[in-house]
Formats: sequence, C-alpha cells, structure tokens
Amino acid sequence: MADVRIRPVNELDIEAICRIDERITGKYRPDVWEDRVVYFIRRDPDSSQVAEVDGKVVGFMLGEVRGGEFGMEEPTGWLEFFGVDPSARERGIGRGLTDALLAGFKKRGAHVARTMVRTQDAEIARFVAAMGFTPAPVSALEKRLA
Amino acid sequence: MSDEVRMLPERYHEAIEHWRQHNFPDYPKLAEVWPKFFPKDDAFCLCAKVAGDIPAEIEIGDDVGKPKALEPKELAPEAAQHLLSQIRAQASTEFGSIQQHQMTLFRAQEPQDQAWALRVMAEELRHGYQMVHLLTSSDWSPVTETKPEDMVEEILSMQTGSHVLAAFNLEFDSFLDNVVFAAFIDRVGKYQLTMQRISAYKPYASSMPPMLREEAFHLAAGVIPLRRWVEHAARGDGYIDMPAIQKAVHKWFGRGLEMFGDERGGQTNVKFGLKDLNNRDAQDQYIQECTKMLDDLNVRYVRARFPDRTRDEADAIFARVASGETVDGLSRDDLLRLPDRRFFRRRGEFAFQMVGTRGETFTDVEKYIAHVLASLPEAYRASIDVKHWADLQRAVIVGTTPLKEAMASMPRLARQAGGCPCGKSVRWVVDAAGGAGGGERLSP
Repeated sequence: MADVRIRPVNELDIEAICRIDERITGKYRPDVWEDRVVYFIRRDPDSSQVAEVDGKVVGFMLGEVRGGEFGMEEPTGWLEFFGVDPSARERGIGRGLTDALLAGFKKRGAHVARTMVRTQDAEIARFVAAMGFTPAPVSALEKRLA
Repeated sequence: MSDEVRMLPERYHEAIEHWRQHNFPDYPKLAEVWPKFFPKDDAFCLCAKVAGDIPAEIEIGDDVGKPKALEPKELAPEAAQHLLSQIRAQASTEFGSIQQHQMTLFRAQEPQDQAWALRVMAEELRHGYQMVHLLTSSDWSPVTETKPEDMVEEILSMQTGSHVLAAFNLEFDSFLDNVVFAAFIDRVGKYQLTMQRISAYKPYASSMPPMLREEAFHLAAGVIPLRRWVEHAARGDGYIDMPAIQKAVHKWFGRGLEMFGDERGGQTNVKFGLKDLNNRDAQDQYIQECTKMLDDLNVRYVRARFPDRTRDEADAIFARVASGETVDGLSRDDLLRLPDRRFFRRRGEFAFQMVGTRGETFTDVEKYIAHVLASLPEAYRASIDVKHWADLQRAVIVGTTPLKEAMASMPRLARQAGGCPCGKSVRWVVDAAGGAGGGERLSP
C-alpha cells in the first residue's frame, strides 16, 4: 500500500472533497463544500485534515474546537464532516484522520471530542465507535415544525 | 494553545492607526459586515500575536542545533542584515497590498466577496503591525544605524510604486485583480511565511504561525470567487469570462514568481537558517500549486459546461481537452492555463528573455511586445507599468540598457510624497499626546 500522508486541509482540497462526497452520495455539491471548507479554514486551518495517497486526496475530516454550546462550557472538539473515497477504505485512512484531528483538538485545549450520528447511519456509527467514541450523557432532541 | 497578544508602544500603534485612516478608509465597514459574514469568529484585533510552541534550536543551515537568536545581535552580522531585509520587505508587502486592494474594493459584485476582501485587508494590516513590532521591540542598532522610528516611517511612507517588490507596485484595475492577487500573490506570501517559520531568529519564527493561519483564509478569498466565476462563465450567465481571468493570471503570475527572488539564489538564507528552501525550489513548488489551482478551476468549468455528464465522464472530457483535443466544442483555449515561467519576466534568471505564454521564443522584440500586450488585461495595458516594461524590453534587446539596470528599474509613479497627508504632520510616527511613547503594553 502506498504511504498515506495526513495534513491540514487547504483551499485547493475543495475539488477533491467534492469528488469524494460525490462518490459517496452521488451528488456534486461544490457550493456546499466551498462554504464548509472555508468556514473551517477561516476559523482554525490547522485542525481539519485530509489524507493523501500518491498525492491524491482520498479522505477528509473537518472539525473545530468550540465551547459554550448546549450548556457545555468546556472546550469541545467537534467532529463535523468526514469522508473516505470508497476505493481507499480499509487502509486505516479514517483512523489516521481521526488521530490527527483529535491531536489537534487536544493541542487547542480540548479534553473531550464530540460528534453526532444519525440513527440510520449504521456504518458511520460503527466507524466512530471504532475510533473510541462512546454514547455521551446528552440527548439529541427534535421537534418537527409544520 | 493560544498565541500571546502584544501591543505596540503608543506612538507606533497610533502611527499605524493613522496610516490606516488614510490608506484603508473602508476599515470601519468590516465591523459592520462581521456578524453577517463571520458569525462566531473572534473580533478582529489590531495587535501582534506570538506563538509559544516554537523550537528553541536552529533547524537548518550552518548552525543547526544551536540556540535560536532572541536578539538581532546574537546573529552573525551578515545573517542579521538578511533578516532585517526580510522583515522590511515583508512589512512593505503587508501595507502595500492594502493600498492595492483599497483601489477597487467597492467594485466587488458580491457582498460576500467584498467582506472577504475587507477581512483580508485588515489581517494584512495586522501582519504589517507584526513586522513593526519586530522592528521596534528589539535593539537593531548592531545591524543598522537607522533608528526604529525611521524604519517604521520609511515603511509607512511607501506607496504603490515605491514598495520593495514589483507585485506591490501594480495598480488594481478591477475587483478581478483583488481576487487573482489573493489567489496568486498571497500564495507566494504563504510560501514566504512557511519558509520563515523555521527562522533562526526566534521572535520572527514565533510570528509566523498566527500569520499563516490568517493567510490560509486569504488564499480561499481568492480561490472561492474564482471557482464561482468559472462556473458562471461555463453556464454563460456571469460577467467575468475565462479570457478575462486568463489575462489577469498573465498580469500577476510573473510578479509572483519574482517575489521568490532570483531563481539562482536563496542559498544564503538557508545557510543562515533563515529559510528552509532556496528560491528555485520554493518557486517550483509554487508553480506546481498554481497548476493544481487552475486544474481545479478547469474541472469546475467542465462540470458546469456539461451538467448532464457524470463525474467520470467530465474527468475524461477534461483529460482529453487538456491534451489538446476539442470535445463537444470545448478546446484547450477555453480553459485556464498557467503561462510559461519565463513569460513577461523582469527580474531573475529569465528577466527580459522573450518567451511567450506557452514557452515559444521570439526574436523580434516588437512581435514579442505585441504578444505580451495581447495577453494582458486591457486596462493594465494602458498603465505606465506596461509602457515602462516595453521601453525596457526594447532597450535591453538593442543593448542601450544593461540587463542588470533594467532588472532594477521600476516606473516612477507620479504621486505625492508618501508622508502623512494631514496638514498637521509630515511624519506618520510622532510622539503621542502628552509625550507618551513608552514601553510595550499588553492587551487586556
């Protein structure tokens, strides 16, 4: 297997992230990913990561440290978006991205990382569990608005 | 991990604030648009930021492993001279780019693009502040006889036309320049900051991480509008077409390359531990990155031009067109392309060599000038800068101006002197009211 290089995301990764998202979801959403990636670059360009194999971006993980949300005052590293190209899975890329992201969170003063997974996303749930995430003592609630 | 915030002594802080009022009059707009375009982000701070987690030992060069210098006098005299030149040049670029952006800031078509440019300008002001902090918070007397206030005065007095590097002496002709400048010239800035992150002068190395984090957004402020413009261009519902972008690339790319310094140089900075790449190696990486940027823009264009095609089909179309085929009416000339690194050069190894955008060589100077003119934006062609270049190009070819002299020549823009235009003062740096000029103060 070629070497995997994990590095912080930059503005030239957007097209590659669109490509990965398209391979996973079937949708080409450049505007969405431009907005998302710029948000993380603007706020903390060192935290969010991409994985390269042979110079090609095959995975990404976006997140940042925030505090004060939902009454949780402690600085929290939020893992918000990630994806690995289906052709590059089962190579430890997701773990490499997670390790780099969490190391960055810790460096920025976070002692806890959090994320949310939709109940129907069993594959994602398995992945984050394998990365050491456990159910948190908080409840995700919703109310449908007519 | 948080950066330490430092403020300049009042006289320098006030000098920069005063400079800002004259050269960046739209600065107050930034606070108005901040909540809309940068919600959740910390408010902008005009201050110096110092990173804490910087290696204490020299990382490259002859003195690798020795402690980094904490004061200029701890460096070898020649290294200190190089460092001072770096700081002055860096300061000139920061203040210079604000003057350029201000020219066309309010011609932006999209409020977001304008807000982003405003933030870029404010952060460049902070970077200039950082350089002034470096010049005024240490004793440079072993390196230069010029007093700190005079170094600062000299920097603040520079105007478009008198800056250290040519890229900061070009006027912006439209908001297209704001964007292409951010994508190409700020990218060189990123390289310089990255190379200087290992500086053997620890206060300088410590200044780089906060600047680099901000610079990352500046590059996005160039690339994202370009991505959206090429999409509109492909759909035919925009106002900025591919030829206009291509010509702006021709205007800026060569000046960006020249910011690295002569291709044959840069080893001294590596030897002194001030940078970790020589000029050519840094330039090669920059060219590679610019090529990728244009490839990505072209892919975005192809996807928008053929919205019914799948990703793989669009990639195949791009590959065929890039190799010279015409596919469904789309040819290589419809896409963006980086000019040859020798095109329209005025400094460095390829200065005044007559090489066209695609690497073709010219023997007739008038044909070459016609080629360059046809490749540049119309408004820029009408500038004194282009006339100055064409006159020099002719003079170099016929031998009436030596190459070395031509490389050092910049057009003299007919401007008033660069001191403060207020009636009250001819200097930017003046003693603060009550004679306070005192020591550094930490922000609350």
